[in-house]
Amino acid sequence: MSTTVKRIIILGVIIAVAFVLGRLAVRAALNMLLGGTLFGGNFL
Amino acid sequence: MSKNKKEKKVRAVPVGIGILVFIVAFGAGVISKFTIQPSWAKEYSVEWSDEVGTLKADLSYGDGEANKFDLYLPKDSSRESYGLVVYLHAGGFTSGDKTDDRDTLAWLCSKGYVAAGINYTLRTETNTASVLSQSNEIKAAVPKVVEAAEAAGYPVDKMTVAGGSAGHCLAMIYAYRDGKDAPVPVVFTYGAVGPSCFVAEDWGVFGIGYDTDESRTAGAALFSVMSGESITPEEMQDGSYLEKMHAIAAAEWVQYNPVPTVVAYGTQDKVQPFLASLRLKAALEESGVDYKYFELPHSGHGLQNDNDIQRQWMEAVSEYLNQYMPTEAGGSK
Repeated sequence: MSTTVKRIIILGVIIAVAFVLGRLAVRAALNMLLGGTLFGGNFL
Repeated sequence: MSKNKKEKKVRAVPVGIGILVFIVAFGAGVISKFTIQPSWAKEYSVEWSDEVGTLKADLSYGDGEANKFDLYLPKDSSRESYGLVVYLHAGGFTSGDKTDDRDTLAWLCSKGYVAAGINYTLRTETNTASVLSQSNEIKAAVPKVVEAAEAAGYPVDKMTVAGGSAGHCLAMIYAYRDGKDAPVPVVFTYGAVGPSCFVAEDWGVFGIGYDTDESRTAGAALFSVMSGESITPEEMQDGSYLEKMHAIAAAEWVQYNPVPTVVAYGTQDKVQPFLASLRLKAALEESGVDYKYFELPHSGHGLQNDNDIQRQWMEAVSEYLNQYMPTEAGGSK
């Protein structure tokens, strides 16, 4: 596997993790204001 | 430049790109949470246009500055009679406006109903507006809404009253307490997360209902503002405050005028007490009226974490509207 392919895969993982964390951060903030659980219910 | 320094610089570039990509993707995740709606939600929201009907805005129903309503009249004006849906806005009794629910009112209008959004005098630091005075304003407004619809050529023969949060509280009070005096039969009420009764022990989310002077003082202050009556910490202790809260405790009025009901509550709600909704559920059950009660176990005041149950709730609203206010009932003129 070339270095470029490895870097693309790593970037893909970073994008997926960051996107999920962004959604979780909003959910956590809304839960603090309105009430709610961090997990369960809708996916994210 | 030494060889080591060159290697460090070469490694730093992809790390920098990685951090940048993380920040951008994180931001996209945040934005997506606000902008991407479940596909089913679009079915219950319509963008207003002349194709949907006619909007008569800011019609007056009283002397107060806030005593105004918007009337959404459906495109088809050929029927002998119409169902009216009054939808009351949210905002904790202190904020909000009838235009906040424009898409919901447009959706109701697109289904063939006369729809109305009514403003009420909001509580501020300089006035004495209360839930009681707001509920009385709604009571005064409904006959004017019906009159205005009739004057525009849309005779109303039955109605639904609905709302969200504070608006839901006022909708329930109108349905169960004032429904018998309504100019047309109130055949259905729906809404979400509206406080339905004021038993102190349910209001732990506000620090009320505990056996301390501080809790009783807080309870007396909050309930005084809401009821428009002067309630003391002593009355909180001996339970006599309940009499003063009765006028705005919708759950206590269900038995006098049970109206078919669809409601939804989040069990994690921090803005209004979920426990109070269980008293509403018990009252509906005891009355024998046709009702549906949805509990969203992962959600709070925004019903934000249980899309599937929220969808079921809106499907039930639609089903009950079709059952109790079929749009073809009036026939053609």
